Amino acid sequence: MSERFTKAEFTNLDKVLYPELRITKAQVIEYYIKIAPKMLNPLANRPIVLTRFPNGIDKEGFYEKDAPLGTPSWVETFKRYSETARREINYVVCNNLDTLLWLANLAALEMHMTLSKVDSFETPDLVVFDLDPKPPADYHEAIEAALLVKEKLDALGLVSYVKTSGKKGLHIILPIIQGYTFKQTREFVQRISKYLAKQTQLIAAERSKSNTSGKVYIDYVQNSHGRTMICPYSLRATPLATVSTPLEWIEVKKGLNPEEFNLYSVVKIAKNPWKGLLDNKQKLETK
Amino acid sequence: MRMAGKEGARMRRGIIWSGTITIGLVNVPVKLHTMIFDKSVTFRFLHKTDGSPLKYQKVCIKEDKVIPWEDIVKGYEVRKDEFITFTNEELKAARPESDQRIRIDKFIDYLSIDPAYFDKSYILTPDKDSDAYSLLLAALEKMGKAAVGKITLRTKEYPVLVHSYNGALVLTTLRYAYEVADPRKLEEIRELKEPKKEELDLAKKIVVDLSGEFDITEYKDTFKEKIEELVGKKTKGETIIVEKAVKEEAKELMVALQETLKQLKKK
Repeated sequence: MSERFTKAEFTNLDKVLYPELRITKAQVIEYYIKIAPKMLNPLANRPIVLTRFPNGIDKEGFYEKDAPLGTPSWVETFKRYSETARREINYVVCNNLDTLLWLANLAALEMHMTLSKVDSFETPDLVVFDLDPKPPADYHEAIEAALLVKEKLDALGLVSYVKTSGKKGLHIILPIIQGYTFKQTREFVQRISKYLAKQTQLIAAERSKSNTSGKVYIDYVQNSHGRTMICPYSLRATPLATVSTPLEWIEVKKGLNPEEFNLYSVVKIAKNPWKGLLDNKQKLETK
Repeated sequence: MRMAGKEGARMRRGIIWSGTITIGLVNVPVKLHTMIFDKSVTFRFLHKTDGSPLKYQKVCIKEDKVIPWEDIVKGYEVRKDEFITFTNEELKAARPESDQRIRIDKFIDYLSIDPAYFDKSYILTPDKDSDAYSLLLAALEKMGKAAVGKITLRTKEYPVLVHSYNGALVLTTLRYAYEVADPRKLEEIRELKEPKKEELDLAKKIVVDLSGEFDITEYKDTFKEKIEELVGKKTKGETIIVEKAVKEEAKELMVALQETLKQLKKK
């Protein structure tokens, strides 16, 4: 009966995927249906990596880089050697609603995307500052750190965009013009992180186990070939069904709780804080 | 002393290790009993349609099929998705051997270790001869001291504290220093201001006014109590109203889908 509207087939709709909130697969699919108008644009032409939870989030999920067996022929894929995985991967590319809903039906709760597009896979069009608070630091610290990063980017004349990671962290994104290498974007993020780490105890720019605890680590290595970040508006496999949610900068302040953005609340947000993100391509100062 | 009833029977069964406490040349033969019982509410997962319990299976991410034990190796994640594998033989060779000893290094004031380091406690009982045991217990009790040392339990080595509790020796395994975060690494803690004298006096007064004896039995797990109450009702056949999932979800999805298709067309 669904064929009239989508090529995707829906199965096991009653299956509970988030046991704590008793959220079924039907509700997950409904979420992706409703969020699609905002989600599809940033996702377009990017290889996607999935984390699937066919038996719900309290059972082991699995990470899936390749398009799974039985992928319908109408789903676009992209074959490329991955330096991180050290082998050729047949990625799924999600360019339309049908593919998104097919993924939702696979219980691919988490969708992760690359920072470059298929037509220029070797060069990134997005730069990410992945702010990861190391316990006992929490989202409060991540928010404080994000505002410091923004301040610095503002001073450099760069327009940045922000989203929750859906967990404790925040992601700050810079859309850039074509032509930079991952090495250049990585070094750019590292340079700014190092500068900020010198200014404040709050931020750590290097991953060493001994001194990052209680700090917000900026994982500049995320800016690498084949690496992925959680897609804007992707669900997370967390008990509260949180969503990696694009925000307006004015919302990022003390008291913001990333856990409030979940399957139920995010679809009620009318505005689209990342509107125009991909048209706002900027130049970076690199060495 | 023998414990009466069910608890006693279970504790006699619960011997998990036997060996000696070694203090220099002195040996105290002991047995180690389970002391901590997790009584939080647990649920089994059942197949909704036939009520059968479910089992876990290891599924290969790439082939999407169940992998038998003999085809499984352990991988240490060096970086995300990058692994170094170990065979069971390699791991076994690296593991410490249990030498059936609790080696005591020194005696300390019991209160000089912060509870943040306490991991898990076990009851020690005398094995064969109880004289040495009684002597060690009495000495620790009289002097308010505890012994620190180490033990290898199964395949892991732990720092331990041997102390007296309710007329027995108790062994508590400790966490390693690197497993406990230092609060001084937090800016908020480092930057705490000294309170003013008047404020501190007032605070002290409140502490004195609210001082009392600690009784752990005053604290209850309310979730556990509620579940136990529900279990009681369910077994008595009283109905419990569970919100029913609407069977119409597929229809609802189609309604949402039409709305989204309309929006996408507008773009």
